[in-house]
Amino acid sequence: MKRHFRELSVAAALAVALLALVVFAPGFYQLQPLLSLLARESPTIVVACGVALVIISRQIDISVGSQFAVCSVCAGLLAAMGWPLPAVLMAAVLLGATLGALNGALIAGLRLPSIVVTLAAMVTLREALRWLRQGRFVDLPENLQWLGLGQMTGQFALIGCAVLLLTAMAWAMKNLAVGRFIYAIGSDAEAARLAGLRPQLGTFLTFVFMGALTGLAAMMNVVQSPQVDPKSGTGLELKVIAAVVVGGVAITGGRGNLWGVFAGLLLLGCISPALTHLRVDAYWEKAIQGVIILLAVVADGLRSRKTNR
Amino acid sequence: MADFLLRLSDATKSFGAVRALNGVSFELRAREVHALLGENGAGKSTLIRILTGAHQPDRGHLEIRGQTIRHLSPATAHQLGIACIYQQPTLFPELTVAENLALRLEPVSVTRRVNWRARREHATALLKRVGAVISPDAEIRSLSMPEQQLVEIAGAIGAGARIVIMDEPTASLTSKEQHLLFEVVRELRASGVGVIYISHRLEDIFQLADRVTVLRDGESVGTNQVDDLTEAELIRMMVGREVSQFYPPGEGQPGNPVLSVRRLGCAVTGVREVTLEVRAGEIVGLAGLVGAGRTELARAIFGLTPADSGEIFLQARRVTMRSPQEAVALGIAYVPEDRRRHGVILEMSVAHNLTMAIHRRLFPRAWLRLKAEERLAENFIQQLAIRTDGPSAPVSSLSGGNQQKVSLGRWLATKPKLLILDEPTQGVDVGAKSEIHRIIRELARKGMAVLMISSDLPEVLGMSDRIAVMRAGTIAAILPG
Amino acid sequence: MPKANNWKTRIGGHETVLLAVLIAEWFYFNSVGPRFGSLDNSHDILRHSVEIGLLALALTPIILTGGIDLSLGSLLGLCAIVFGKLWRDAFLPIPIAAGCTLGVGALAGALNALLITKLRLPPLIVTLGTYSLFRGLAEAITRGLDTFTNFPAWFLFLGQEHWWGLPAQALIFLGVAAAFWVLVHRTTCGRSFRAIGFSPEGARYAGLPVERRVALVYMLAGLTAALAAIIYTARVGQAKADAGTGYELFAITAVVLGGTSIFGGVGSVHGTLLGVAAIAVLSNGLVHARQPREVAGMLTGLLLILALSGSALPRLLAGWPRKPTRTPSANST
Repeated sequence: MKRHFRELSVAAALAVALLALVVFAPGFYQLQPLLSLLARESPTIVVACGVALVIISRQIDISVGSQFAVCSVCAGLLAAMGWPLPAVLMAAVLLGATLGALNGALIAGLRLPSIVVTLAAMVTLREALRWLRQGRFVDLPENLQWLGLGQMTGQFALIGCAVLLLTAMAWAMKNLAVGRFIYAIGSDAEAARLAGLRPQLGTFLTFVFMGALTGLAAMMNVVQSPQVDPKSGTGLELKVIAAVVVGGVAITGGRGNLWGVFAGLLLLGCISPALTHLRVDAYWEKAIQGVIILLAVVADGLRSRKTNR
Repeated sequence: MADFLLRLSDATKSFGAVRALNGVSFELRAREVHALLGENGAGKSTLIRILTGAHQPDRGHLEIRGQTIRHLSPATAHQLGIACIYQQPTLFPELTVAENLALRLEPVSVTRRVNWRARREHATALLKRVGAVISPDAEIRSLSMPEQQLVEIAGAIGAGARIVIMDEPTASLTSKEQHLLFEVVRELRASGVGVIYISHRLEDIFQLADRVTVLRDGESVGTNQVDDLTEAELIRMMVGREVSQFYPPGEGQPGNPVLSVRRLGCAVTGVREVTLEVRAGEIVGLAGLVGAGRTELARAIFGLTPADSGEIFLQARRVTMRSPQEAVALGIAYVPEDRRRHGVILEMSVAHNLTMAIHRRLFPRAWLRLKAEERLAENFIQQLAIRTDGPSAPVSSLSGGNQQKVSLGRWLATKPKLLILDEPTQGVDVGAKSEIHRIIRELARKGMAVLMISSDLPEVLGMSDRIAVMRAGTIAAILPG
Repeated sequence: MPKANNWKTRIGGHETVLLAVLIAEWFYFNSVGPRFGSLDNSHDILRHSVEIGLLALALTPIILTGGIDLSLGSLLGLCAIVFGKLWRDAFLPIPIAAGCTLGVGALAGALNALLITKLRLPPLIVTLGTYSLFRGLAEAITRGLDTFTNFPAWFLFLGQEHWWGLPAQALIFLGVAAAFWVLVHRTTCGRSFRAIGFSPEGARYAGLPVERRVALVYMLAGLTAALAAIIYTARVGQAKADAGTGYELFAITAVVLGGTSIFGGVGSVHGTLLGVAAIAVLSNGLVHARQPREVAGMLTGLLLILALSGSALPRLLAGWPRKPTRTPSANST
């Protein structure tokens, strides 16, 4: 109970927000728009899982948005060339893993600070994409959309996929040795080394895995529309990091879990529709998001001050 | 001669210009507590780091349980049954006790499923064996230092370690916890384990150890049965000379009180009801165990962790010290214990370090005067005989003793009324040590009030005009020097 | 300055290399694009690099203290909006509106400083929060569509005309750069920034006012971002909520490219200026070489990684570095 105080308080905030919407904006609870909202956010959930892992291991990745865009566009191009869906999916995941491996090699191999490496990767990838595509959208073949399942089923499939992945990863982080190693590395890399783990290798693999998840998320994004926007994923990194931090993952590593991240993501995700339904200007979304991030870190700061004494 | 658990011969290790170990040999049998004794900087921690695989020796031969080991990594050390309990535990602060133990005890395999219930039960059992009352679900960062140490010991026991290294384990324990720890160590010995026990404290060694090896200046002075030695002989082996004659004598009458604290307390750090006076021209030694609150008292006087009760008087004027800046402005100087982290900034130059505490005086209106700075630095380099390539050499290129002189010089430059020294000769070679002693005595002779914290008993006895003994956060006794 | 100093000589080397790269860039583009070397084009380069340059200058002391500020680009946007709003809707004369804008910038910097020093929160995550907050406020104030235009000609002069043969804003920039150079290299403040960057605890034990110095660099950064906002408005002739989007990234790139260590302690203002120049010349020159704009961004990112790897290699070869032993009071990163 006490150990999950942080996650529970985010969940409570989410519950309050959802209840408030019941009272003030019942229009929010309509199946189709809600389903669309969740389907649109399901790639974000997948990316958030990856970024949460990276932050738990005491690193950060701000290039996920660009990786996401690169994977989306490549997946789109391959699909347009007539590759079958499973092959496209494999390619997207592999490409993501490769991009993650590049970051990981620089960070774990050369021991460069992750913030700067991924900053550079973010700019480089985004600009390369803009250069190659010149803003042109990729037109997708008909049968790709909604995995060829029809909108409603497709949406359910995507949401199901995201939730399944989240559940599996949350379980693995708690119950598989590999998950605990990530916590150990993030908590104290030197202690991890003394305990016989290999923190640098762990860091590298975490980035690779995160890249693969980004590739998967990109695929989940591609199938939702008839075209691929080369600008997709802009600002995704901040949205995801915000959710991870709000969800109680310590930016200093070693602490937090994926259910908290999920709650944080939903909390931030319901700002915008809530604003619309409450007839508040939607342009307040970013400001509110900023305030929520600051509140979360301030709360963490005050709490850790107390426990450290 | 049969069952040697560990045998290290002729080990040498240098860090840059400093030779930390020079041809040291060391052996450990099963069923023995082998004490490793030496002053600070004698090479004890380097030796331990070699035995745990954290450092590789430049030269030397290592044999563990009859097996020659060419390259000892932390992982192989672990496999070979070597466990080390450091002074400062290496645990995962964000994780629970049960998990910390498990990460150490369970085999490293990536896909294995974690059995939380078994982890917790195992942890509970191990904690019980070391007599610790700690919840297995507590996060490490919420535990006190001795509690963390007990978790480490529990881990070593759980790992079925054949060789247990304990680095100053009693440093921060209360006498009751100490007693418990000794029991645990004896039990380990009885079960066939070899224990390497590092300590400053002679009484620990006489109570617990079977044999003792003394290190001095990176070399082994010798290995003896503890029963064959008297305390005085042991001290002589450690220090390498007769104690009293090497300290410059004090002279004259001390002047008026410079610092006087009354019933000073600081709840966060456990300092309570300290009443103490330091007069001009006097060296007051502050003795006591590590963890008795000596550094904490100094930190309170210097404003690093401001006191929350009691009074501080400086030359009969009541003052409050809320930050180091205020303390410096009032003429207090503090040469901290941890030289590398607090005493100097290693990456910066000798000159920059020397002038760091006198920015206001040397650089009026915040404008750097580099010529004046260099002159002043050269002056101090000469005065304190700091061996360096010049004022612009980074402090990291200096040896420990010379780094300490820079740390000291920084504060002498402030021309303080009160100088607080925290372990001023820790990790300093013998030559620099006696130079530092001479400098301190000279300062006192010129009328400075000196408060000197030291765990080095001969140093306290030799240097102090009066000695205040601290225990459990307060002054237990004041003795003439 | 005294010589024979490890990190100083290394930095000296870094800056020389950067200068060489800059000169090579200049000659190359000059040979490729005939108009590149013209005076007009030089002015163009200057004009377009002032705002990012200002942010990079402000970031230099922050990174020297081992911190980071991601919120400066957003703050530029917020300040531009505040400035426009005060002038158009509150009917303040431009000088007063500008003064108030600078005040807002400093206050925003103070918010960062407060959270970082008083609550000891990591700068990365604090400024990530304010990054979102400041941009969000700008969008909320303008409801995403309002823009402020029709500024008087004498104000636009600041961003579009010449003064003593140089673009007007370049003179302001040079003044600010000189001020930052003096602050970092010639005052005790600058010395403290380095000390804090190398070892915050060590600086505290030396009696340096660590919190005040850290607060100072973030507030100065806020102030500078506000100035950049005013210049931006004058150059573009319009204030809108998305002003300065992504500038923080280019500014950080310029600082790190200029040889300032992201770990703190090492770095220089002239290095930062060279970094800004290298990026500005690159992006302008590529346009003259008929390369698409995006190539410049891409190359900048690659250059940053290259510069970092170069600085990491000697450390790696020297067997760097075990994490220092932890102590009970050790704080967050």
